[in-house]
Amino acid sequence: MKQIESISLYCLKKLNRERTIYSIYHLLNGKKSSQTIQDAHLFSLKHLFGIYDTLTRESFEIIIQNMIKKKWINNCGEQRFDLTPEGEVNLFHSNIPSFLNGWIYHQFTNDFWERLSLLVQVASNFVNHENQYIPIQKNKDVHFWLKTILKEIQVPRLEMGSMLFSELVDCFKEAKNADPSVLIFRLTGYQQIGLTPEQTAKRLNMDIHDYHIEFINIIHYLLQKINRETKNFPLLSLLIRDLKQNNELTISSRKTWTLLNQGYSLERIADIRHLKLSTIEDHFVEFALHINDFSIDDYVEKNLQDTILEISRQINSRQLKFIRDKVKTASYFQIRLVLAKYGER
Amino acid sequence: MNLEILLKEHFGYDSFKIGQKEVITSILAGKHTLAMLPTGTGKSLCYQLPGLILSGHILVISPLLSLMQDQVEQFKRFGEKRVVALNSFLTQEEKNSVLRQLKKYKFIFISPEMLSVPFILRKLSELSISLFVVDEAHCISQWGYDFRPDYSKLGDIRQKLGDPLTLALTATATKQVRKDIIQSLSIENCRKVETTIDRPNIAFKVEKLAEYHDKQNRVVELVTKLQKPGIIYFSSKKLAEQMASLLAEKGICRTMAYHGGQDPNTRVLIQQQFIHGQLDVICATSAFGMGVNKENIRFIVHYHMPMQLESYLQEIGRAGRDGKLSIAILLYSPGDEHLPIQLAEGELPSEQQIDWLFSKIEQEVKYTDGNLHLNNHLCELGGFNEIQWRILEELINDTPQNNRKELQKTIQLFLKKRLTAKMNNIFHMKTWVESNVCRREFIMEYFDDELTNKVIPCCDQCGLQLKDYHSSIDHTKTTTNELSWMEYLGKILMKNELSE
Repeated sequence: MKQIESISLYCLKKLNRERTIYSIYHLLNGKKSSQTIQDAHLFSLKHLFGIYDTLTRESFEIIIQNMIKKKWINNCGEQRFDLTPEGEVNLFHSNIPSFLNGWIYHQFTNDFWERLSLLVQVASNFVNHENQYIPIQKNKDVHFWLKTILKEIQVPRLEMGSMLFSELVDCFKEAKNADPSVLIFRLTGYQQIGLTPEQTAKRLNMDIHDYHIEFINIIHYLLQKINRETKNFPLLSLLIRDLKQNNELTISSRKTWTLLNQGYSLERIADIRHLKLSTIEDHFVEFALHINDFSIDDYVEKNLQDTILEISRQINSRQLKFIRDKVKTASYFQIRLVLAKYGER
Repeated sequence: MNLEILLKEHFGYDSFKIGQKEVITSILAGKHTLAMLPTGTGKSLCYQLPGLILSGHILVISPLLSLMQDQVEQFKRFGEKRVVALNSFLTQEEKNSVLRQLKKYKFIFISPEMLSVPFILRKLSELSISLFVVDEAHCISQWGYDFRPDYSKLGDIRQKLGDPLTLALTATATKQVRKDIIQSLSIENCRKVETTIDRPNIAFKVEKLAEYHDKQNRVVELVTKLQKPGIIYFSSKKLAEQMASLLAEKGICRTMAYHGGQDPNTRVLIQQQFIHGQLDVICATSAFGMGVNKENIRFIVHYHMPMQLESYLQEIGRAGRDGKLSIAILLYSPGDEHLPIQLAEGELPSEQQIDWLFSKIEQEVKYTDGNLHLNNHLCELGGFNEIQWRILEELINDTPQNNRKELQKTIQLFLKKRLTAKMNNIFHMKTWVESNVCRREFIMEYFDDELTNKVIPCCDQCGLQLKDYHSSIDHTKTTTNELSWMEYLGKILMKNELSE
């Protein structure tokens, strides 16, 4: 069974028929929308957020179609699916790559890879006394990063290669169930150009989607390992130096946040920004998710908060419609705020 | 001053390639120069070396963004750090920072669009410009295959910059096009350096196949036998992909497709793998080749007919830069010319589309400053593609528009002229395919060049043994012993200790 299928089954199970199949696609893509971000929290799928940002809708649909054909999943209308008994068995026997940590790492994954790949190329050329070559990474930020760290590295240039080698080998020692090949064969060195993702997948006999997921898995493994043991990896730890921690809010909600902090009301913000009220509400739900000291008490009375949470637990659902049916006094906006703030199990 | 010493010192070469020294000498003597040098002769050296001697800035106008990036990278590789590319790749912030310290840069590459921004032109006119270089100068001419309306303004811009010393460079330009270049830049008294466009070590062969479908098998045969590395050119991304998979499946060679639809990182890797000999064959669209400096390419096969002899010459010119025997094979089956005709028509908006556009403009476009503003939603509604829309925008911005009817007529006329020029080019290409005379002589005549030495082997018309281009060693694909990841990592990071 393919990894991408296990992951899709896993997500479907967690979603419990409460979201359409495309919410999985948005989740894997790491779509920066209030809905997707909330879903990741509500359904405990944060670790899978943004782990496959290059997945196309067409490819995703093919994966789903295949699982329907194999009778692993059932269409229960409105683009919602649940698992068949066979799907359940398959999910039970599958393992999702264990180092995936999309929520925390998705925004660093690419920068980290570009830095690693450039550092290895540079070290390899140092070892071979070559200074005329085309850098394989074109990103100017990464070049700038390299220039900065090269000034600091105390190790003689000729020894950088072997030091990097031992750090990497060391680092991979505890990578259980993860094959470093998915990453290493893509590295470029002196007179030796790395493979493309497709070429690596072929060489390792892997499905291209599974390859991608394994690649992200091993990058997340490295990020975690280096983060935890910075002292053991003096060179590798330079790779995570000042990786940009993007604010988790979307750009638009950041503007709303600023206005809110200047004391404007929700309605007034919508006015000022020429946006729909519902859009500003989406932003508020994002605040409830990400900003710990954002209080929702101004928008939902304490009592109502408790009722909503209680009902949500009773009917074991996060679908707004069901909750609303039971708590007629609450607006959808209020229900969303409460679920966002306290909803995660 | 000894140019050879400078060449050796700064670039590591022992001698100049054909034409280079004449161009450089002419520039250093303060003469405007039009240089037509064959592809692959290192045109950029013609302004890079004078840059070491001239005191002011060197301004290089280049039409292709990717080419510009490549050139800047090459300059840096050779240790020239005072180089910058001003184009739309830069963010606003980067652009501002470059413009603030423009004086710092000896070599300034710029796209024609940027050059027509008044603010930027003003900035440039504050500098002392020692040399004004127009790369790919054939883009100036409406008769050229690659006419760019922006290029036709370069004459004016030159004047605004105070008539600086000018070098116009091209690889492929007919007599008519060369005349246009000189006129448009008003450098009538320029020195012309026109070396022969002939590449004597590249032989020509046109293979006529009864059916289009026969091509696939023929390519498999050719690639199996011919000495590699080589490039196969296609007019379609999909076919390039299919052929690459077919060749790989059959285990005939190490190959990959290369086209504009791929992700840029993948493209860089494939190009570099080919240069470093990790791939034998590239199945490419015309997107491949710019900036690929590989000496030992042995064959260029064309699966489809290019749209003009100029591009054909550019593409086959990538073979045999080491001077060794190489071959260019074009596969032709009856009716093949329909594809380039279709492509040519697709590049230009049709008459109906223009009429429709102007009827819409009548209805809804408002003048705020007396000028016409094309609304982008019209692009989608009218079914214009990106290239067509860009051409229209340029045309409308460049034409005085006091009279709408007049403007419409001007555009229609212009488009008709362009289409005629393109059809003419396809016609010449097809004539070349079908002609019974020496293929080399035909091409030379087309470019008003003269064949001084008869070369052997020359072409299928003069007699040619394909055997001579076959690989001498039997390439039974041995799968190279595959390294483990740790061995691979050791090989690139600690080469000496592990592998030797």
